[in-house]
Amino acid sequence: MTKSHKNNPSSVSPSGLSPSGLSGLGHKFTLVLLVIGVLLVALELFVHRHGVNAVEESFLFPAIYGFVAFLFIVQVGKWLRLLIMRPEDYYDE
Amino acid sequence: MSSFPPGLIMILAAIGLPFIPHVWRQIFMLGAIALSATGLLAGAGTHLVWSVMGFDLILYQADNLSLPFAIIFHIAAALNVIYSWHDRAWQQHCAALSYAGAAIAALHAGDLVSLFVWWEATAVTSVFLILASGTERARHAAMRYLLFQVTSGVILLAGAALLASQTGSIAFTRMELGDLASWLVFIAFGIKAAFPFLNGWLQDAYPEATATGTVALSAFTTKLAIYALARGFPGTELLIWIGAAMTALPVFFAVIENDLRRVLAFSLNNQLGFMVVAVGVGSELALNGAAAHAFVHIIYKALLFMSMGAVLHQVGTVKASALGGLYRQMPFTMVCCIIGAMSISAFPLFSGFVAKSLTMSALGETGMIWAYFVLLFASAGVLEHSGIKIPYFAFFAHDSKHKTGEAPINMRVAMGIAAFMCVAIGVFPSVLYGILPYAVEYHPYDAAHVSSQMQLLIFAMLAFVVLIRLKLYPPEIPSVVLNSDWFYRRLFPRIGRPLLSAVMLVWGSFLCQMTGYINAFWDELDKIMHSPVGGPTVSGRAVMIQAGLLSLLLAIIYATAG
Repeated sequence: MTKSHKNNPSSVSPSGLSPSGLSGLGHKFTLVLLVIGVLLVALELFVHRHGVNAVEESFLFPAIYGFVAFLFIVQVGKWLRLLIMRPEDYYDE
Repeated sequence: MSSFPPGLIMILAAIGLPFIPHVWRQIFMLGAIALSATGLLAGAGTHLVWSVMGFDLILYQADNLSLPFAIIFHIAAALNVIYSWHDRAWQQHCAALSYAGAAIAALHAGDLVSLFVWWEATAVTSVFLILASGTERARHAAMRYLLFQVTSGVILLAGAALLASQTGSIAFTRMELGDLASWLVFIAFGIKAAFPFLNGWLQDAYPEATATGTVALSAFTTKLAIYALARGFPGTELLIWIGAAMTALPVFFAVIENDLRRVLAFSLNNQLGFMVVAVGVGSELALNGAAAHAFVHIIYKALLFMSMGAVLHQVGTVKASALGGLYRQMPFTMVCCIIGAMSISAFPLFSGFVAKSLTMSALGETGMIWAYFVLLFASAGVLEHSGIKIPYFAFFAHDSKHKTGEAPINMRVAMGIAAFMCVAIGVFPSVLYGILPYAVEYHPYDAAHVSSQMQLLIFAMLAFVVLIRLKLYPPEIPSVVLNSDWFYRRLFPRIGRPLLSAVMLVWGSFLCQMTGYINAFWDELDKIMHSPVGGPTVSGRAVMIQAGLLSLLLAIIYATAG
């Protein structure tokens, strides 16, 4: 329950062999994502995506937008913690 | 039977629930819901009008807009009966059934006064689902919830009364935002639809309800508000701005919230944003999008709340910081949760995709490109908190070593049905498109559209993987995240209480001072009256009062005579 446990799938041994089934799952999951990602990039070369404007039709736009948006959301969340995160009993007094 | 308003029968049935033994009670409830649903067979039109004091109360009116909402409300009510089958006490069943009934009746109200009655009825019935948690915390949240809900109703009634005095009609028809009456109705709807800054009650109260109660709550109140907006204010451009803010803002709160049911409440707020935008666009395609989104949203949001309710039921908490690794103990719940997560994230072949596509296409057609990109951004946000965070922290992340097993069979059955519907609608969207307000010829599954959506989702997920691997993803911390309820839970009391005591202090000392003056006055008078020239036999005060009244009387007589 300590903080070091939180990001467990990343705390995997370099060999990738871990007694915990969770990190094995994490590895498989990452691999599947990467394969689909590569397929989507390949598909992008053949399929013409029609968008609402030229920006949306530009090469790999949804992929880049999704990736950056995700990082942005998490980063803003981290900043927001400094501002609006309070102890659990904040309202309990 | 055909003219009997749907929903009303559920409210009547709820009265009988305490007298029926367990299990039979559940069957009785399913029967009542089925009976209520047969009322929908009456089809479009006005079926029941009650004339009171010169006004027509339209108790049962149906059309193409109310139909999809009515169908899904009945389905949600039935799912809730199955999900809460194990609960042997009657109280929550009574609340949930009458709550669903009131919401369904509200859909079929053709005038603002009947709408007001059912609007308030949803508030006073649903509050018991929060109170049923039995904790002090839940009791406080329930009271705040009730305060907001009832206020919404009162504002609605004020708007209706004003409209009636202006136009002589209380009919619930399309309105233009402009005069005070329409604004009052708009704000009443806005409170229940959880507009920005009016949304505190949602994230505050829903996660405090019982494991089963939150599932019922998630379905009705807010979607009733979406329906009301779609009927009253379609095409109001302001709604696009409001809706866009609703999609984007809760996303950031959801990232850092520790209570997973509260994360889902933020997510609910974000989803309402999509529907509000669709209503704001107001085209046929967009209103179809709003109805379709509400329809599928009720199922997958209920499914997500059910899966977290199952975790709460089994483990006793839904704090992300205390969960993890439950995929071993609760594999079925995990699968259902992921199906719900993929549906809300709008993966192709899941229900969210076929509904959200309608709204996005309609929005793209308006030329409001900024709103389109805000919603696209919010789609990545949905994936973050509902698509990844919920299943990841509950079922994976790290092994929390909880000794538990799968949820009761009835919970699993309800989740299974909801999960099946998520996939079925995603694979066969024509089933959903067939009941939408306007005839649609829409094909969500073209190569371009699917690859766009997949790129957005897969690369956002890769961003998550990168963050986890680099240990940059913020850890879950037991905490409270401040939301708009902070203003009335903290700021107002903090400013208000000292202010109030200051005012009372000034007022008190003023009164004290005045009493002093008055006493001094009488004392002086007594002195004078007790030592007059002729020697008094009666109390000075009485003489003075008589003399005063007499002179007043004389003054009046002189004034009238003169």
